Amino acid sequence: MAITQAMCTSFKKELLEGVHNFKNSGGDTFKLALYAIGSGGKSSTTATLGATTTAFTTTGEVASSGTYATGGGSLTRVDPTSSGTTAFTDFADLSFTTATITARGALIYNSTDSNKAVAALDFGGNKSSTAGTFTIQFPTANASNAIIRIA
Amino acid sequence: MISVETGVQVTQVNVMTSDNGGLSSEQITELALDKIVRVSQDAPPAIRDQAEAFKEEIRSVIYHYVELTRKEERGTICQMLSTTGHQDTADLVRRL
Repeated sequence: MAITQAMCTSFKKELLEGVHNFKNSGGDTFKLALYAIGSGGKSSTTATLGATTTAFTTTGEVASSGTYATGGGSLTRVDPTSSGTTAFTDFADLSFTTATITARGALIYNSTDSNKAVAALDFGGNKSSTAGTFTIQFPTANASNAIIRIA
Repeated sequence: MISVETGVQVTQVNVMTSDNGGLSSEQITELALDKIVRVSQDAPPAIRDQAEAFKEEIRSVIYHYVELTRKEERGTICQMLSTTGHQDTADLVRRL
């Protein structure tokens, strides 16, 4: 039972099948859901996320609080582009306000296409907000840092 | 055999949280700095030091304008509350 930072293997396959569209205009809707290990999750369930995750799951997802609703928040896409030999895409930062949340990681998934998993994110430890703001900051959209890169 | 090897990578995200209210000016400053300056641990020491120095240089500038933005926003809210007859609430917001 753990959350491991990984690009989901099913996502890599689906990239080759042309399943996901990250374009700013007309692209799919991608969401980010928060997960807990041990206490903090819904119904005391514990999340297991990693390379083998294939789709969004409610197991271990944190409960609704403040502006966080189960299923997670919609991400604002950054148009895919390339620099040198690396192609990349990114998302704008996402914040949940007036929220009481304890989360250990997150799952990015494609809600337009059967909630297919994209990537599991490990926060490296529990992150908590109490009646406050829970912000996920995505890295700078460039060839070295963007959240999703094909090198 | 012809093959092309490539890698699909995912990067770490930053998480910033707060209790009993929104993020502080210091936290917002830190978020902005992380977007503007990101120094690779593999960078040559001289370049890394220069980047770190630049980061510290602009920290106070960003913090100043974050604080100013918050103050001006509160000023606008206070004015709107005052003109709509909510002077008590306006005073509360002004004291934040």
